[in-house]
Amino acid sequence: MIIKIKDLDVFYKNIHALKKVSVSIENGKIIGLVGGNGAGKSTMIKSITGLVPIKNGKIFFNDRDITRLDSASIARLGISTVPEGRRLFAPMTVQDNMNLGAYLRFKNEKKKDIEKDIKKIFELFPRLMERKNQTAGTLSGGEQQMLAIARALMAKPKAILMDEPSTGLAPLIAKEIFKVIKSLKNRGYTILLIEQSARMALKISDYAYVLESGKIVLKGKASDLLKDESVQKAYLGV
Amino acid sequence: MALLALPFILGDGYYLSVMNFIAFYAIVAIGLCLLTGYGGQLSMSHAAFFGIGAYTSAILSTRFGLNPLISIFIAQIVSATAALSIGSVVLRLKGHYLAIATLSFTIIVEILIIETAWLTGGLQGLSLIPYISFGDFIIDSDWRLYFIVWPITMLIMLFSLNLVDSRMGRIFRATKESEDIVRLFGANVKIYKIKLFVLSSVFASLSGSFYAHFVNFISPTAGSLMFAIDIIMVLAFGGFTILWGALLGAASLTFLNEYLTVFADFKRTIYGLSLILIMLFCPNGLLEGLKDSLSRLISVKNAGGD
Repeated sequence: MIIKIKDLDVFYKNIHALKKVSVSIENGKIIGLVGGNGAGKSTMIKSITGLVPIKNGKIFFNDRDITRLDSASIARLGISTVPEGRRLFAPMTVQDNMNLGAYLRFKNEKKKDIEKDIKKIFELFPRLMERKNQTAGTLSGGEQQMLAIARALMAKPKAILMDEPSTGLAPLIAKEIFKVIKSLKNRGYTILLIEQSARMALKISDYAYVLESGKIVLKGKASDLLKDESVQKAYLGV
Repeated sequence: MALLALPFILGDGYYLSVMNFIAFYAIVAIGLCLLTGYGGQLSMSHAAFFGIGAYTSAILSTRFGLNPLISIFIAQIVSATAALSIGSVVLRLKGHYLAIATLSFTIIVEILIIETAWLTGGLQGLSLIPYISFGDFIIDSDWRLYFIVWPITMLIMLFSLNLVDSRMGRIFRATKESEDIVRLFGANVKIYKIKLFVLSSVFASLSGSFYAHFVNFISPTAGSLMFAIDIIMVLAFGGFTILWGALLGAASLTFLNEYLTVFADFKRTIYGLSLILIMLFCPNGLLEGLKDSLSRLISVKNAGGD
């Protein structure tokens, strides 16, 4: 268990956004978290990364309590984020965006090693390599999402949190992104995948949770959830 | 190189003096360009730090008889300390709120300068400020100052260009886009913002100190609101995110300043109008706007050729 979330309560003023949510993220697995608009999915990521205050409950990272840590310290422990809406540094080049992902490593590691890593990640995303000196704002939606993932990988993370990586992408491109995410798991990465398009997310996840108005209403092996009648009705449109 | 040759062409006189004033403006503008253009922190306190740099050094050298070289140095420490304490409070604010807070600081400094007449000379200003001198070699001509102030400007420019491309500079530029996301990659944004604020304020203060020791006289206008707006004008001309633009902007503003003196009080009106027009049509600055339309023109041409 690399990340363990226990009985999390999060409020936005008087709106109870997360209600006693418990989630476990296992090493080397993709954990899916699906749910509709306003279910509290993004709030989950924001609470893990310290961007929203937590009322009750605890978050552990490798058995260390990180509930009250600030964002920068949480990142230092090895949690990397692919934020909702990509949130790239638009006027900066692809290369600069990736260097920023590796920000913490520039302190202790040799530039050469980081450059080697960039090359490795470019192998995963050849299109980014071609556009290395272009500014991030000029990329297409799919390329931007890939850059957001590449930027997160540059931090050499122990766990990656992905917030709706398929949003705003054409179905074919979204499919491509999911393929990449799956290949990341095969490379040993641990991923928390938050998604609205439940079918695609469940297909590549190992284990999944269904979030509904701030509560976990279902959990189980992703393959089982895909077959579950209530999930099919509510999220898969069967 | 061209800058090196310039004084030989212009000779020691009016134009060389204008060149020196361009440098004073440019140093402040480079600092503000780093802070606002690259770091995204809209600050109006640079006039105040120019004033602090000018007055601290002037007071120390006239009233306490310190060698200007030492007083300039101490003035930078004073400014850095002031910037550190102000910065760590006001940099919690963002956008317009930060602009208003720093603007208030400028107003406070201006009032302090006027009200502490026993120390600063108040509205009458402070005169008989000694020239900078290295032993018997006194920097008392435009010619001599040129060879001090322009190399310093160029050093500051080179330093800033390097800074922007460094690991730290990447953080500044990214902070402008989104502080939260920068935090998600482990950077302590708060400390970076303070560092940048201090650096940029010291640039302004350094320029102020040189100005005081060259003009030998300072009055509260040195740290005034109008000066704060002048610096914004420099960036509006030169572009907020082009460091070299700070030089061009400083040059345009200084020359404009000279040529518009015939309009006397209407000068400010002309400034105001042009600032509104620039902001309306090229919010990133005139130079940037021209660059954009030029590249658009070229791409349209290329597209037409296909």
